[in-house]
Amino acid sequence: MRHVLFRLEKDRYALPLSSIREVVVAPDTFTRVPRSPKAMKGVMNLRGRVVPVVDLRELLDVAPGPVGGPGRVVLLDRGRRELGLLISEVDGIESLEKIGPPAPKASLAVKGLARLGAIPVTVLDPDALDATVARAFTTK
Amino acid sequence: MAGPSWDTSRYLTLFSGEATEHLEALGKDVVSLEKGATVALIDSMFRHAHSVKGMAASMAFEGTAKLAHLLEDLLGTLRADVARSNASVADVILQTVDSLSGHVKAAAANEPLPDSTALMTRLSELNASMTGRPATPTAPSPAPVVETAPPPPKSTSAAPPASNPAAPPRFSVKLKINPASNQPGVRGFLAYKRLGTLGNVFDLKPPLDDIKAGRVPQGTITLELETDQTEDAITRTMRTVADVELESIAAIVKAAPVVAAPAEVDPNRVVGQEPARTIRVRTEVMDQFLDQAGELLLATSRVRELSRGMPAAQRPPLDEAVDRLHLLVKGLHDKVMQARMTPIAVITDRLPRAARDIARRRNRDVDLVITGEDIELDRAIVDELADPVLHLLRNAIDHGLEPTEERTAANKPPKGKVTIAVRRLRDRVVFELSDDGRGIDVERVKVLVVERGLLTRDQVTALTERETLMLVCLPGFSTAADVTDISGRGVGMDAVRRAVEQVGGTLEIETRAGRGTSFRLSLPLTVAVVNLLLVGVGDEVYGLPIGKVSGVVETARDRLAMSQNAPVLQFGQSVLPVHELSALLEVPGDARTAALVPFVVVDGDDGRLALAVDRLLGQQEVVLKGLSKPLDLVPGLAGVTILGNGQPVFILDVARLVTA
Repeated sequence: MRHVLFRLEKDRYALPLSSIREVVVAPDTFTRVPRSPKAMKGVMNLRGRVVPVVDLRELLDVAPGPVGGPGRVVLLDRGRRELGLLISEVDGIESLEKIGPPAPKASLAVKGLARLGAIPVTVLDPDALDATVARAFTTK
Repeated sequence: MAGPSWDTSRYLTLFSGEATEHLEALGKDVVSLEKGATVALIDSMFRHAHSVKGMAASMAFEGTAKLAHLLEDLLGTLRADVARSNASVADVILQTVDSLSGHVKAAAANEPLPDSTALMTRLSELNASMTGRPATPTAPSPAPVVETAPPPPKSTSAAPPASNPAAPPRFSVKLKINPASNQPGVRGFLAYKRLGTLGNVFDLKPPLDDIKAGRVPQGTITLELETDQTEDAITRTMRTVADVELESIAAIVKAAPVVAAPAEVDPNRVVGQEPARTIRVRTEVMDQFLDQAGELLLATSRVRELSRGMPAAQRPPLDEAVDRLHLLVKGLHDKVMQARMTPIAVITDRLPRAARDIARRRNRDVDLVITGEDIELDRAIVDELADPVLHLLRNAIDHGLEPTEERTAANKPPKGKVTIAVRRLRDRVVFELSDDGRGIDVERVKVLVVERGLLTRDQVTALTERETLMLVCLPGFSTAADVTDISGRGVGMDAVRRAVEQVGGTLEIETRAGRGTSFRLSLPLTVAVVNLLLVGVGDEVYGLPIGKVSGVVETARDRLAMSQNAPVLQFGQSVLPVHELSALLEVPGDARTAALVPFVVVDGDDGRLALAVDRLLGQQEVVLKGLSKPLDLVPGLAGVTILGNGQPVFILDVARLVTA
């Protein structure tokens, strides 16, 4: 299956291409969401639509690195709505067929591990990702 | 029946929407049936059942079609003798309606249809016991009325062009329906259809709709049949229709062309005046229309804002263009809002049925009278009101109305009465639900509020009657001595009030001891445009609905009075609790060094309160957008909007912000 490959700091991640609506450059500022979990970066105005954006580093407990560029927002297609994921950089689209089990302590949003040549890639599950965000709100 | 060759999934939504409407109407009719059966009423039920059957059959939901068909049979029997309708028959019909609704829901969700064999058997048996004929439980439909036969020929009152030499011969046919027939309508209709397979039918008397409805005076039907078949063949065909006799048949001599009698034309149809034409649009599409129109409004204000940065020489023509654009977009937005208007009947249509169920479970007898259900409101408001209105109805029947003995003792008619009156009042709609029950005991409300620790005794004694009544809307309040599954739990009056206020409405309660209680909802026609007071907290901007703002006081923090170690603000005659908005929202505010701080006085659930903010940024009319997941999980947010500069801004629900 074709996946979009992207980076959180140095680590490589992937999401199924079919689950992604588009990727945009992150805006300079986000409108903060009151009473939200730490991983909630805020909302952005995407051509007139208000889209919630999650900092994927925070959600997956990836240690933040030195401040880089503005980052990108991957827009997950959730039917009538969208969920934005703030990431570091998009690498491209690759076909990932063999997906092994996830690391023992990985987040519930992780579907498994794949390899691209010698490079390990963490494959995420869009539904579980969405559920993890909702859970972060309710258990805050 | 063979499955249709086209992709039915495209029609599934349409099917489920239309079928649900018919089933709701049917449910409403059943309730009226209990008040007294009339042929007209059963005709209406028959039509709904028939429509559901037809739709289900065309979608190849055979079980659903069969169930609807059996219901249709039972209704046909009932129509022949309306006096046989009783509560148990009505119960079976209701059960069938429920079961059919289950089918439709399952179909819409792409799930297997529920098994209704037991119910089908029950329907057939009941029908058999009423007709005296043996039951044909789940056998193939005994009398396929519509779907399996070829489309019936169009009946027309106009004669064919007599000059046409190729026209086949015509026969004048007179049919007689056996007066003992239980289903004269179905029999007559069948005869008409059988003849239709032979040729074209003209000059049908009585008209087809009357025949279908069983209105056939003296059981006599006359028509003209244009066919290539012989007289013999026609006679033979008619023998296959039970309970219908061919009384006479005669060939018509072509020499006497019949002139179409103008009296045959439907008197209601005025030439050149077409009835209003409508199309069915999915509500989701209507929501998207509104979203887009709203975004156009926002985009226009963005252009206007950008134009302010242009050199002065270029501005006048640009401003003019923007003004024109704004007018057009505003017009479009208004039209979309207009298209979203939905009659309140969408929710009140279910209520007679609900009232009957609640009353039954409580062994009460209730009469529900609804007026003004054709008044229209924005669909979003109508949707929000469905649950609250049902709750008010439950309360009225459950707690408002007294048991029959108590009513009789109080010299009241034994049957309780609940009235729902909807009316337009200027730019608002007033929805009033009243009962003629015992009324709310104001003193008891005061006692309970104190008992439950919701307010102190001193606070309660200072309240007016109107204020006291509003206490029933406090979370955790219930005057019911007993807690039943019908009310007392689930959405309480606090949820009713919240829902009403969420759409910009107000709730008022009036009561008279021993005479009854009224709940009056005053609702705006539309919700999407709200007037906001914009406030700044740290780097963020928030919107407070103007309707909730009572005023603003600017003062220094150290000049606030203290009460129980918490700051309070003097506002007019009252002393209000003070909340830091930044703390409520969990966002960083400015350093508290400002000499003067604006305190916005807003209406909360338990009275007014003051919110300390960093800045006042003025008023603005905005288009409200709903919150999608996961933002709807945040307590205290009412919606979101985008300002002219493109910045998203959250709109706050002050009452929930403080309580949740």
